[in-house]
Amino acid sequence: MISEIFNIEFFHPSAYYIIGGLLIPLLKGRVKQGYMLLLSLLAFFAVVNMPHGVYGVYEFLSWELTFGNVDKLSKVFAYIFTIMGVIGVIYSFHVENDGEHLSAFYYIGGSLGVTFAGDFLTLFLFWEIMAFSSVFLVWYRKIPSSVDSGFRYLLWHVIGGLILFSGIMIQYSVSGDLSIQYLPFHGWWPTDIQSLATFLILIGFIVNAAVPPFGAWLPDAYPAATVTGAVFMSAFTTKTAVYALIRVCAGSEILIILGVVMAIYGVVYAVLENDARRLLAYHIISQVGYMVAGTGLGTQMAINGVVAHAFCHILYKSLLFMGTGSVLYVTGTAKLSELGGLYKTMPRTMIYTIIGGLAISAFPLFSGFVSKSMTVAAFGEEHIMWAFIGLMLASAGTFLHTGLKVPYFIWFGKDQGIKAQEPPWNMELAMIMGSIFCIGLGIFYKPLYALLPYPVHFEPYTAYHTWETLQILLFTQLGFFLLLKKLWCENTISMDTDWFPRKGAIVFMWFINKPLASFEFNLIGEVYEFIVQKPVLRVARWFRWVDTFIVDKTFSEIANLTLIWSRMLQAIQSGQIQHYAMIMVAGVVTLIVIVIILP
Amino acid sequence: MNLIDIIDKLRTKIVKKIAYGILVLLILADFIIPRHEIHFFGDKVPGFWSLFGIISCVLIIVVSKWIGQNWLMRDEDYYDK
Repeated sequence: MISEIFNIEFFHPSAYYIIGGLLIPLLKGRVKQGYMLLLSLLAFFAVVNMPHGVYGVYEFLSWELTFGNVDKLSKVFAYIFTIMGVIGVIYSFHVENDGEHLSAFYYIGGSLGVTFAGDFLTLFLFWEIMAFSSVFLVWYRKIPSSVDSGFRYLLWHVIGGLILFSGIMIQYSVSGDLSIQYLPFHGWWPTDIQSLATFLILIGFIVNAAVPPFGAWLPDAYPAATVTGAVFMSAFTTKTAVYALIRVCAGSEILIILGVVMAIYGVVYAVLENDARRLLAYHIISQVGYMVAGTGLGTQMAINGVVAHAFCHILYKSLLFMGTGSVLYVTGTAKLSELGGLYKTMPRTMIYTIIGGLAISAFPLFSGFVSKSMTVAAFGEEHIMWAFIGLMLASAGTFLHTGLKVPYFIWFGKDQGIKAQEPPWNMELAMIMGSIFCIGLGIFYKPLYALLPYPVHFEPYTAYHTWETLQILLFTQLGFFLLLKKLWCENTISMDTDWFPRKGAIVFMWFINKPLASFEFNLIGEVYEFIVQKPVLRVARWFRWVDTFIVDKTFSEIANLTLIWSRMLQAIQSGQIQHYAMIMVAGVVTLIVIVIILP
Repeated sequence: MNLIDIIDKLRTKIVKKIAYGILVLLILADFIIPRHEIHFFGDKVPGFWSLFGIISCVLIIVVSKWIGQNWLMRDEDYYDK
């Protein structure tokens, strides 16, 4: 079996991140940086050399687990995840905290595991590794608000994971088969047991894709994460969910509506947002909306568009998070109301960020243009005009915020006289790499199109299409400068759907503490004492006699043994959820290793 | 000449005028750009997407701000109260 793991044809790239990553805390300085870069490059080349096929099939109890399902779709996602791994690793070279590196590595390893999973159980295991490792990227910011955000992030993902798991279990009980199949969901509501399974799986996926009303975790957690953590997070969770949606739920009509709503919803919140990284987080929701809508349409052209868009999106969104992250790193704030005039001190960072902004806005010659337009054009082809117009409207909003508002208020706007300088060399190098991809893919898009799951019959640079885009974007710019006064940022936050759990929790705790506790104490307590407690006490006295003289002797020996055991277990029962999360990840990884190594 | 000087040069009135010129040119050129695929009426009207762009922009700002000020926006310590 060991020989099969080191099979030359297929070497699971997650192994580099999850097993190779374990050595990071043992290394120091340049050696550590070199080792991390080497691992991320090896993972990338493992994907390059991977032929299509099914690999890594292992029996576990009565199930068959498949770790290496390689086809065009999984490969293109693995390409972008491993490329992002390289860029992200370079961007985080300067980070001293090994825990942060490890959680990023496990997070990337988890997303690659999901990508190559051939059955739902494997997918679920890696899905949970992602959730439980990425939360540390929030917690390692080590400020009170990020601790709170991390808890909420984990709660959303645990609930989403449970919904997904129940869907998987129902699917298994119906079909007796755990392998990942194409299971589109039609209609609005589950009507029979099979559609209940697909419905729950779909909900599980869209929680991770941040589809409203389940998406509030994203703008809550990402701006609370560390500078480098947010860069990783912007790339993996939502795009892994998009991958899963394409594989399992493509053509589910409900996704079209959700996707278009999402695209516009993200734009509306971005107008109100003051924190640059939270503004970008809302734009992830908006951009993933294009992908969700395209997945719902499910035609070959739409799926190609979605995959291309996910590919480009990871690159430009991470570039934007790197740019604003650099500003946060250098100045200590990412709030637009506190920034301004930085073009004098951080002009190069400004240029990288603007390149990211032009790419996300789908400016001709930038990467977003060759990918977003394919998704939107797929709606035109099918003559679903409301979705087409909705997505066009969202594109104007994208340029308005990411291309104009963010750069304007950080680098121009009101000069706040902040002392700043360009970020460390490694951060800049990562941004240069991201910028090269954003421009390169916009010009040389054929290699990307060749990676897409279906043959491409789409030409982005037609005269009319280029002109249409230029008109929308440049007139949006005119509107921006005309309404600039309205766009000055206020120091506020905006309520989102997490209002219900957050304010709801306060009401819930009040109910527990006040009415419920006093009811329990006064009424039930009294009744309990007279009806239950007194008779029970009498019987208990008799039992005590039997117990002391007969049973106790036997049990005291067993109790001693239990005591020794529980002292050992006490070490992991610290009561801190951070430790439980680590144990959870370690447990899942150990399980996977056992499955692979045991014959 | 370094980067900052170039940026300063770009922030002048002349550049602004050139930008307006480009906008006019965009609409004028739309009269002669060939249409290959027509999905709906907007594809036949010259300058349609210019109008769409500016109306979208204004709508997004005005409507979002209105929703925000009347409903969604709260003080930063809203959840801690």
